[in-house]
Amino acid sequence: MSETLARKHPGAVSQVAPRAILRGTMVATDLAATRRMLEELMGLETVLRAPDRLLVRERGHRAGEAKHADPYWVLEVRRVDEVAVPQEMLNHWGVELTSQAEVDRAYETCAAHAERFELGRVQKPRFRNNSYAFYFVDRDSNWWEMEYREPDLVYTALRARGDAVED
Amino acid sequence: MMASTAPLISPHLLSHGTIECENIAGTRAFLEEFLGLDVIRPLPEAQYMWKGGPWTVVCVRVDGDAKEQSPDNHFELALATAAEVDAAHARAQALADTYAIREIRPLVDEDGLRSFMLLDMNKVWWKFSNVSQEYFDAAFARGDVAA
Repeated sequence: MSETLARKHPGAVSQVAPRAILRGTMVATDLAATRRMLEELMGLETVLRAPDRLLVRERGHRAGEAKHADPYWVLEVRRVDEVAVPQEMLNHWGVELTSQAEVDRAYETCAAHAERFELGRVQKPRFRNNSYAFYFVDRDSNWWEMEYREPDLVYTALRARGDAVED
Repeated sequence: MMASTAPLISPHLLSHGTIECENIAGTRAFLEEFLGLDVIRPLPEAQYMWKGGPWTVVCVRVDGDAKEQSPDNHFELALATAAEVDAAHARAQALADTYAIREIRPLVDEDGLRSFMLLDMNKVWWKFSNVSQEYFDAAFARGDVAA
């Protein structure tokens, strides 16, 4: 059930009680090309779950490796002939880096290898909404944000603080 | 299969996804009361939701109609059992008007999982299934299927 709901309204229970948000999905017209971008450029781990479906997670979840996230989250990429609904910046996937310098370095890397990985626009990094980040768009209109947040501004820290704005 | 050479970028974490919403308060009621997600509003124009891990969905307020997404662009909630998926389907049908749910797809069995999808007031697709972390652990451990 929702803990934030119960905090505001003690005793309230939600209609559905999920254990986790575990997966998000996107589409690609060439799984091999998308896989190269995800693995070789972005450093993510992938596995072909079906001929038309790729699963993606951050590294660090193999046996014996230190987990970054538990449970971790999975992105599923489904191969399509055409992208039915092109994505926009407000429909992006976020990737966390460990420092502002890492964001700058990632930006330079993406800009330098844009042609190799068929990237579209690669925007310059800037401070916005509690983070230092840049966006780029991939060959199938999927938007990606690479960001760094100070420790007191990471999502889990903001959760602990609760609402900053009342409805 | 992982790349045999070192990647050009080494991220710490897949951190978030994003959706659009037109009505922050109405959307929050759906997220907390129906979906059972945890929600905070750190910014006037955005609220953050999560459940069960560090991963977050950022919900950004837009003026006018939110863009209708394809079912191929959705977020999936993990329920404990197939029976819970069935119960969630029944609750969605019973409360569709209350939470302005636009469409509810039938229950299906696929890949050993029970699931259904719904389209919310912001034209965002949500999938409910009995998928688990162990399901994904096993998929990654097995490696690639034949292409």
